[in-house]
Amino acid sequence: MGAYVIRRLSYGAVVVFGVLFLLFILFFAVTSPDDIARKALGERVPPAVVEQWKVNHGYDKPLFPAPGHWADNMLVEHYRRMLTFDFGRSDADDTPILERIRKGMGPSLALTIPLFVLSVLVAIPLSLLVAFFRETYIDRAGVILAVLAMSVSVLLYIIGAQYLVGKVLHWFPISGFDSDPRVIVRFLALPIMIGVANGLGGDIRFYRTVFLEESNTDYVRTARAKGCGEIRIMSRHVFRNSLIPLLTRIVVAIPFLFTGSLLLESFFGIPGLGAITVDAIQGNDFSVLRTMVYIGSLLFVVGQILTDLSYALVDPRVRLE
Amino acid sequence: MTLMSTCSAARLLGLTSIWALAWVACNNNPYPPTEAGEKVLYSSFREAPRSLDPAVAYDTGAHAITGSVYDTLLEYHYLKRPYELIPGLATDLPTQRPGQAGYTVYGFSLRPGMVYENDPAFSLGMPGRMTREIVSADVAFELCRLADPAVNSPVVEPFSNIQGFQEFGQALTQRREEDLAFSNLPVHEQYAALGGIEGVKSVGDHGLEVSVRSDYPQIQYWFAMPFTSPVPWEAIAFYDGEEGRPRFADHPIASGPYRLQHYDRQSRMVLEANPNWYGAVHPEWAAPGAVYPSQGAPGDLEAGLLAPEWAGKPLPFIDRVEFRREKEAIPYFNKFLQGYYDAAGVIKESFDQVIDEGGLSADMEEMGIRLEKGVEPTIFYIGFNLDDDTVGRPGGERARRLRQAMSLVIDSEEYTRIFTNGRGIPAQSPLPPGLFGYDEAYANPYRSVDLERARELMVEADYPQGIDPNTGKPLTLSFDTYDTSAQGLLQYRFFTDAWRQLGIDVKVEATNYNQFQEKVRNGAYQIFMWGWVADYPDPENFLFLLWSDLARSKSGGPNTANFMNDRFDDLYLSMKSRPNGAEREAEIKEMREILEVERPWIELFHREDYALFQGWLENVKPFGMSFPMTKYRDLDPAERTSLRKDWNRPVVWPIWVGLVLLIALIVPGVMTFMRERQ
Repeated sequence: MGAYVIRRLSYGAVVVFGVLFLLFILFFAVTSPDDIARKALGERVPPAVVEQWKVNHGYDKPLFPAPGHWADNMLVEHYRRMLTFDFGRSDADDTPILERIRKGMGPSLALTIPLFVLSVLVAIPLSLLVAFFRETYIDRAGVILAVLAMSVSVLLYIIGAQYLVGKVLHWFPISGFDSDPRVIVRFLALPIMIGVANGLGGDIRFYRTVFLEESNTDYVRTARAKGCGEIRIMSRHVFRNSLIPLLTRIVVAIPFLFTGSLLLESFFGIPGLGAITVDAIQGNDFSVLRTMVYIGSLLFVVGQILTDLSYALVDPRVRLE
Repeated sequence: MTLMSTCSAARLLGLTSIWALAWVACNNNPYPPTEAGEKVLYSSFREAPRSLDPAVAYDTGAHAITGSVYDTLLEYHYLKRPYELIPGLATDLPTQRPGQAGYTVYGFSLRPGMVYENDPAFSLGMPGRMTREIVSADVAFELCRLADPAVNSPVVEPFSNIQGFQEFGQALTQRREEDLAFSNLPVHEQYAALGGIEGVKSVGDHGLEVSVRSDYPQIQYWFAMPFTSPVPWEAIAFYDGEEGRPRFADHPIASGPYRLQHYDRQSRMVLEANPNWYGAVHPEWAAPGAVYPSQGAPGDLEAGLLAPEWAGKPLPFIDRVEFRREKEAIPYFNKFLQGYYDAAGVIKESFDQVIDEGGLSADMEEMGIRLEKGVEPTIFYIGFNLDDDTVGRPGGERARRLRQAMSLVIDSEEYTRIFTNGRGIPAQSPLPPGLFGYDEAYANPYRSVDLERARELMVEADYPQGIDPNTGKPLTLSFDTYDTSAQGLLQYRFFTDAWRQLGIDVKVEATNYNQFQEKVRNGAYQIFMWGWVADYPDPENFLFLLWSDLARSKSGGPNTANFMNDRFDDLYLSMKSRPNGAEREAEIKEMREILEVERPWIELFHREDYALFQGWLENVKPFGMSFPMTKYRDLDPAERTSLRKDWNRPVVWPIWVGLVLLIALIVPGVMTFMRERQ
């Protein structure tokens, strides 16, 4: 187990190093520091201003190691900064990026954790229900609704729900955020509902397929022949034996809870990491964008490792060696 | 207790908790319930101010904060029109006496006993101290900061009329370059080492004398703006952005009626009444800037603006101001209609719902909402960067004709009709109605659409059908903007489409506001759209936008078009120190004629403001200029709470319908399933 973890971490480190190199190529070689400076300052800015800006932001060194600059170059600096989580300052407004991330993580997690938990808690029982009533009109209606739900753009969910639930029915605020515990639920309820509804179609389709596949196996047929109740079969046998594909889908998503939801945060004015990313994209804030992509890749690697480890926890047949 | 009853109790408790949570959550009020009875004004912002440093902040968004937090020596009478200056921190309007040749000395006297808000920064001066008295040296210090090139204040030019102002800035730069030890000193020590600005003298703790060029009487208006607010040196020394301390640009120290209690650039800013403000500490002074006026303009009495419950009463009436970030216009306006914002503009998406034949729609009137409208002292225009090779001075006559041609195809009336629901008067010159020099009969020949003439001008400019003879391709120009929204880009499409009729390909380069400001600061633009809201009610405050000394490329000033014309400059300098009269009018007319031909701007419109106010908001008189008059306003929280409840009752019947539908869907399915199983 220990050796396996070390091996997976090593693979992960290689992936992260690769991602960092790609990021460097994209953000410094393809888009040169001069381009970044001109995006921030303007296309026709005098060269002296560009140079000063580059010095201020540490973009004035040679791109790659070269004689006399083996350690003092942007590639090494890029790796050093990212690996030590010294993300520097925003290209757009000079605020420390780490501080922004720290501030944004709370609102993001406040949205994504309940959204994730509710999605799982709603999707799995519904999928079990649909699988339980397989071949009946409940199953067919469930599948049709799931496909419909998957087909609708999340933007329509957001705008429609803001209008209907926020403006017409007055159930929740149309948008906004307040971390005050007395009102935070109000602000998060609608985006969470939308997030759950938006993901439900795909989840139900996936879980239903997994459950149906499992319920057609020989041991389920045997259990049924022995007179075991259908509810017991579904909850004890089918559900338990479907855990590996379920975990693959669920655990890999956990690390991304930290990066927030781009669209929900942006449309609801939730000052989380998703909104920060959208603001960075809209404002050509390369340093923030670079950081968010790096964090995303880091979390992806962590998610993959966690998923592999979780297999051994739920299925004793799996040995991590 | 049996196991069964324990389970039932647990189930009951669980269900009750769920319903309680649902009940608490099922409410669209975005504010904590405890605020219901409080005098809190709810407002919004779209993008956080880049800086709250009073020496730097120069946009409406920042002024909404700095104007309430920083008090000034003078201020405007809230009700009287034409605008009238009254004493603020000063005991009286400034005295004037002749100074050195060509200078007038303005004498201010600060009220003794006024203090700043409590802040740990003051422990720098004396350990454990949380506040200190506001003294005239703090105003002198702020004037030094305006002159300091490192501060990069956008208002250096008007203050250069102060004796020794520019020289102080130059000396500071030179000394910093020459003397490393000097440059490492705290700025207040640097200023002191240089002896301050020659024309600014503190007389004791409360007297201040400022020597200003005699041809710039407008300086008085600047002492009613936050640029000249007293700033304690401790604030600059303490809030340096190091060791976890915020920058001074994000942490103002209040001398005004409100203090910044919470500042989250991403979501929320909160002002609360400053308990240390002189109006709160010394109501017995009944200082003009600390009590609600007892006199106003004609019509104010009838409008209820001089009602006895407010007249002569100490300010402020409102205890707290909440600014929430609203990036999207529609949710923002819907929240206003739900009663969660106290005032709002009329967004174009809801214009027809709100406005009916120029007045309020019946629905709005029924809600008790009030509409206040008026032409603002503003100008919105498309500007050309006259430093640019293609559209500017280096292009000579060719570029001038190009600008004239481009001006002739922009239809302001159509623009305001489409994009501002007609809320604007087509502009013929920089001067808006209501200002001296505005001529209602004047029609600018380049501001009425004439495509034929425009095409002729393109031929004369050697761009026949918009083709650049050097490349053989359509002339390509760039239009820089800070509005990245799809809606914003549609507006710019209106201009680019108009110019495409001439064969010109204008590309829109959109960035965020701060980056756009950065581009402009660095001269990296060709065409831009900008607006100006008057700082003070004088034609000088519009025409200075085209004075060459204020060219962005020359001095970093607000002449963003970098327009430089000797004759215009001469006329401007003569006009600005003249009292209103025939001579001044003639000079303004000649300046207008120069602009007509040179076309540094394509004048678009003077904004007509339609502001909506909830019925519970009292003492509302549109001020026109970008000064937050929050301290004069009042509101009735009980009425607000009651109306909010009425307007926002949750509609619950869809829940029951949904449940019935769900049961109707599931029960037959279960029955069918059970039957099949049997």
